[in-house]
Amino acid sequence: MMVLVPAVSLAACVPRPALRTSTAPAVAHRYFTDEEWAFLNAACARLIPADENGPGAVELGVPEFIDREMNGAFGHAATWYMQGPFVSASPEFGYQSPLTPRAVYRAGFAAVDAHCRRMFGNKSFSGLPVATQDAVLADLESGALDFENVSGKIFFGFLLQNTKEGYLADPIHGGNKGMASWKMIGFPGARADFLDWVDRHGVRYPYGPVAISGERG
Amino acid sequence: MDDIRKPPVDAVLVGFGWTGAIMGMELTEAGLNVVALERGENRDTSPDFAYPRIADELTYGIRHELFQDLSRETLTIRHAPRDRAVPYRQFGSFMPGNGVGGGGVHWNGQHWRVLPEELRLKSHITERYGAGFIPDGMTIQDFGVSYEELEPCFDQFERVCGTSGKAGNLNGEQVAGGNPFEGPRSREFPLPPLADAYGATLFAAAAKNLGYHPFSEPASNASRAYTNPHGAQLGPCNFCGYCERFGCYKYAKASPQTTLLPVLLKRPNFELRAQANVVRINLDSSGKRATGVTYIDAQGRTVHQPAEIVVLCAYQLNNTRLLLQSGIGQPYDPGTGQGVVGRNYTYQMTGGVQVFFGKDKPMNPFIGSGAGGQVIDDFNGDHFDHAPLGFIGGGYIGVIQTGGRPIQQMSLPKGTPQWGSAWKQAIKDHYLYTVNIQTHGTIMSHRDNYLDLDPTYRDSYGQPLLRMTFDFKENDIRMTHFVTGKAKEIAEGMGGRSVEVKMKQFGDHYDTRIYQTTHNVGGAIMGEDPGSSVVNRYLQAWDAHNVFVMGSSVFPQNIGYNPLGLAGALTYWSAKAIRTAYLKTPGPLA
Amino acid sequence: MKTPARITPLHLLVATIVAVAFVVVPLPTWSSGQSAPATDELVQRGAYLARAGDCLACHIAQQGKPFAGGLPFDVKVGTVYSTNITPDRETGIGLYSRDDFVKVMRKGVAKDGRRLYSAMPYPSFAKVSPEDLAALYAYFMQGVTPVRAPARRAHLSWPLGSRSLLAVWNALYFKKGEYAADPRQSDSWNRGAYLVQGLGHCGACHTPRGIAGQEKAGSERDGANYLAGAALDDWYATSLRGEAVTGLAAWSQDELVESLRSGRTARVAATGMMADVVAKSTQYLTDPDLMAIAEYLKSLPADDQDVKGSGDSRLQADADHAATRALKTGETGMRGSRIYLDNCCACHHSDGAGAQRIFPNLVRNESVNTKDPVSLIHLLLAGSAMPSTQTAPSAIAMPDFGWRLSDEDLADVLSFIRASWGNHAPAVKSEQVARVRKSLAKNERTLLRRDINGGSR
Repeated sequence: MMVLVPAVSLAACVPRPALRTSTAPAVAHRYFTDEEWAFLNAACARLIPADENGPGAVELGVPEFIDREMNGAFGHAATWYMQGPFVSASPEFGYQSPLTPRAVYRAGFAAVDAHCRRMFGNKSFSGLPVATQDAVLADLESGALDFENVSGKIFFGFLLQNTKEGYLADPIHGGNKGMASWKMIGFPGARADFLDWVDRHGVRYPYGPVAISGERG
Repeated sequence: MDDIRKPPVDAVLVGFGWTGAIMGMELTEAGLNVVALERGENRDTSPDFAYPRIADELTYGIRHELFQDLSRETLTIRHAPRDRAVPYRQFGSFMPGNGVGGGGVHWNGQHWRVLPEELRLKSHITERYGAGFIPDGMTIQDFGVSYEELEPCFDQFERVCGTSGKAGNLNGEQVAGGNPFEGPRSREFPLPPLADAYGATLFAAAAKNLGYHPFSEPASNASRAYTNPHGAQLGPCNFCGYCERFGCYKYAKASPQTTLLPVLLKRPNFELRAQANVVRINLDSSGKRATGVTYIDAQGRTVHQPAEIVVLCAYQLNNTRLLLQSGIGQPYDPGTGQGVVGRNYTYQMTGGVQVFFGKDKPMNPFIGSGAGGQVIDDFNGDHFDHAPLGFIGGGYIGVIQTGGRPIQQMSLPKGTPQWGSAWKQAIKDHYLYTVNIQTHGTIMSHRDNYLDLDPTYRDSYGQPLLRMTFDFKENDIRMTHFVTGKAKEIAEGMGGRSVEVKMKQFGDHYDTRIYQTTHNVGGAIMGEDPGSSVVNRYLQAWDAHNVFVMGSSVFPQNIGYNPLGLAGALTYWSAKAIRTAYLKTPGPLA
Repeated sequence: MKTPARITPLHLLVATIVAVAFVVVPLPTWSSGQSAPATDELVQRGAYLARAGDCLACHIAQQGKPFAGGLPFDVKVGTVYSTNITPDRETGIGLYSRDDFVKVMRKGVAKDGRRLYSAMPYPSFAKVSPEDLAALYAYFMQGVTPVRAPARRAHLSWPLGSRSLLAVWNALYFKKGEYAADPRQSDSWNRGAYLVQGLGHCGACHTPRGIAGQEKAGSERDGANYLAGAALDDWYATSLRGEAVTGLAAWSQDELVESLRSGRTARVAATGMMADVVAKSTQYLTDPDLMAIAEYLKSLPADDQDVKGSGDSRLQADADHAATRALKTGETGMRGSRIYLDNCCACHHSDGAGAQRIFPNLVRNESVNTKDPVSLIHLLLAGSAMPSTQTAPSAIAMPDFGWRLSDEDLADVLSFIRASWGNHAPAVKSEQVARVRKSLAKNERTLLRRDINGGSR
């Protein structure tokens, strides 16, 4: 595997005792392996962390959401045009990889974990201190960390996009437990009825959210 | 497996969205036996768009539940004739509809007419600025039909849709509160304008301060309960925020389902076949007359449907592709400029300005309707002097708050980290406090922007995909800089804390990843000369008199407005020609 | 469609027997003299009367052919099926003479002498005039396409299905005789009474039934029970008498006509079983007949036994009512109001008034205020749709909420609705919701949108 890691970006991330590493909650996962699950939980915890503004992606069930997506139409790229030939093109032409999202995740987890083990004393991504995890994620995002079998940028792109989806989508899809993200930003969810509010300008809408299931927040 | 041959019908409609439903109504009313073939599924408000399951951003907004299945059929795209085209593998820039109702299910309801001068653009520009004002390579031309001729058709379509708005020009008289630049209307809108969200009123006030003329965007989201001339009913829009990309649970958005199908589907001389994917228009031995169409049904069987009249009512891209596949009309060659089918493909130019407010001004962005809002038309069409500006075209500017879906419609200031606690803080700080001004404008047709068949890629039936060759040209970037610049001036007067402009820069290429509009036009354009158009002024194919082509395929270049109002009016116009002239003496319409 | 059994006596054996629906008539194959061919005009009149009688409501199976029967009726003692009344000679009524036809329509006695269960509303049809019966006969013999569809055998547990007790029932409850005009009333009133009591058999649903399943009244002459509203299995057919809120007092004759013709008025809509009646029957009636029906119904005085309180004339739809204020300001401390906000407000709005002709007005709506909330519970659990009619083609549908709301939620929101905006109906208990939910799940007696509107999208 070709690993493109600029030394500078990881220089500050000398392995040291973890400040706080995420441990994966005992939730059933169907697509991901236990190792992948641990990676996913650790990554979600960094992409949308729990902090003073409220719970993060892990607490809201985002890893479960992504696991479910892997077995659905999205994971299989069921509604994308996936016939060859596959050729590289400038980024403006969008996704041109033969890999389905679930394959990208699988390859991405393996490649990043292998990289981490090599670089950080045989530790997988989930075992790294959060600062190191953040640095690895930042390198994936920038394209600095790339692999032979999977694009680090595409892998990170799916991971970030799906994490935000699970965090902000209706709880019916498995994430956004308790509609916590909606409460934080002030989105009323599936209420979809604002006849009385459209002309009340400058007044903050007072009601909490409701989910498709009828759950009230 | 043997092919299936269906009994002949008077007319077959290929595609069953807005134009198919209109044509179906008109032709069955004339007594014809009509069959509509729709490649997608059958859908209706109940149960497919029912509350509250439709209020699901992920399923409908992000995963595109109601749109074309690209795994079966897509197109390829490139920027220039010298490039290799690659498939449009997942949705980005535009999203064609699929299924009964087509894009009419999940449009926003922004229901404009057209500016009179846009229908005769080439003549108008030549008259006012001289022929030399049209740059090399720009291939604009006249539609071949006038606003006055189309006015009754616009009116009819608006009555069907229960369009909400305020006239600015009634029979040539200016009316306060409406669009002072519009062509004359024969009567007021069927319904009054929708209420405005806060951001729209701030925009209108700021625009007025600068001397511009804000008005309510014409909206086919009913502002009141409404019964249309067919007896079909619309409910009042309640600003639910799930309009574009969604079906309307409240029967408030005009769609084939809400306005026409309750009547049409019950007519004994009408039949709808869903999951029927037309692959070819069949011609007789002369090659000048269609004998019907061939489609693949849900079980994969090949079915022949003979018909006296074939009306192409599919999406713009598919109409063009079907003509190319069927050998109707000469394919366009950008090298020689000869040929017509695929010529003058164009798109629209969008831009915007974000206005970020403080916490004293909550905007409640989730309060949205597809088309309610305030706009100005001062910089659209030829409402301003283009001579010193050096471009042709324009656009409207406005605040149309379509919804605040948090995954897709989250506006954050430039430089905000994409993840981590800083991102989380940012969505908390800005979600409720941002207003987006949109600019929506023309792209002129150009010699190098066109459609043909891809030599490499195929659909799931083994047919060649359509190939789009398209990129932005300098004229259109100039236009958006001018119009979006005006939007920025207005934005600065709205009382926000900061504004940010988003628009194409010189040298930017067409980016297929970012949603812009599903307002693809051209490819089977209308006109007065068979050498430069595919269909005549009645939307009848020059090369096969019993083939008619509907929709924005026939626009010779794009207009500043959203195209559906014009596409619908042209369908009524063509249907009238078929009913009053073609049925009496089938043949080329003069 | 699947029609709920309309008669539900619960206690006595005899009552249970008569509650069971249709007879399955094994027809002998002898030939009898057929009448001379009727005129087209007579056949057409018969077709009109068959619609007025809503024969098709029962005599067609799902996806079946018109009048070929086969619609199952799940009843407490088993399953019975409607019969084939097409003129097929072997499996239908093709061998019926006109006298045979009159006998089955008026007396509930089939050609072979077997008695029909009273779900075939022959006590009502007994009032039909000989001329109209002749027209109906002409239509069924010459205007209906024969369909070969052998009768499906009923599955009934003995002795509950015994027919011998039917004669006893008939002797006790069946009043003979065709409609006799009331000379003090107008021709139009009499025409209305004739249609309502006779072919229209409105009392089959809207008149309360006695202990043996008999309708407690057959006409206005029998007193205030007639059309006073009645519980069906999982519906409540509202009163068609003059009560202020739970009956027709607030309805004008024009509104009644509009409702029967289009399935909706400015205020309310036909839902549930009535949507099916409008779709298959009343939308086809002429304006004079609809006006006559309206005139007759509007002449029926209020039933004094009706729930008090809801008839208070001081009650007015009040846009400033506390419920509206609470919903509009975000102060929904009221029980059920938040559930209303999350489920109902989107279409029925915070003033409960909905939108003209499309989203029914809940304020002083008779279906909302009726003492028995079973129809409301049914609607919320299963949803419903307006009929698609010739004059109002949009089949506006209310979604189902049974999957989204618990019994407690449903009881709370219904109690809120029934106590808000001037409504004054008793609260709904979660046990009542649970009972209907259980019944719907068990019997699948849910009138779905596709059932009402002919099985197509």
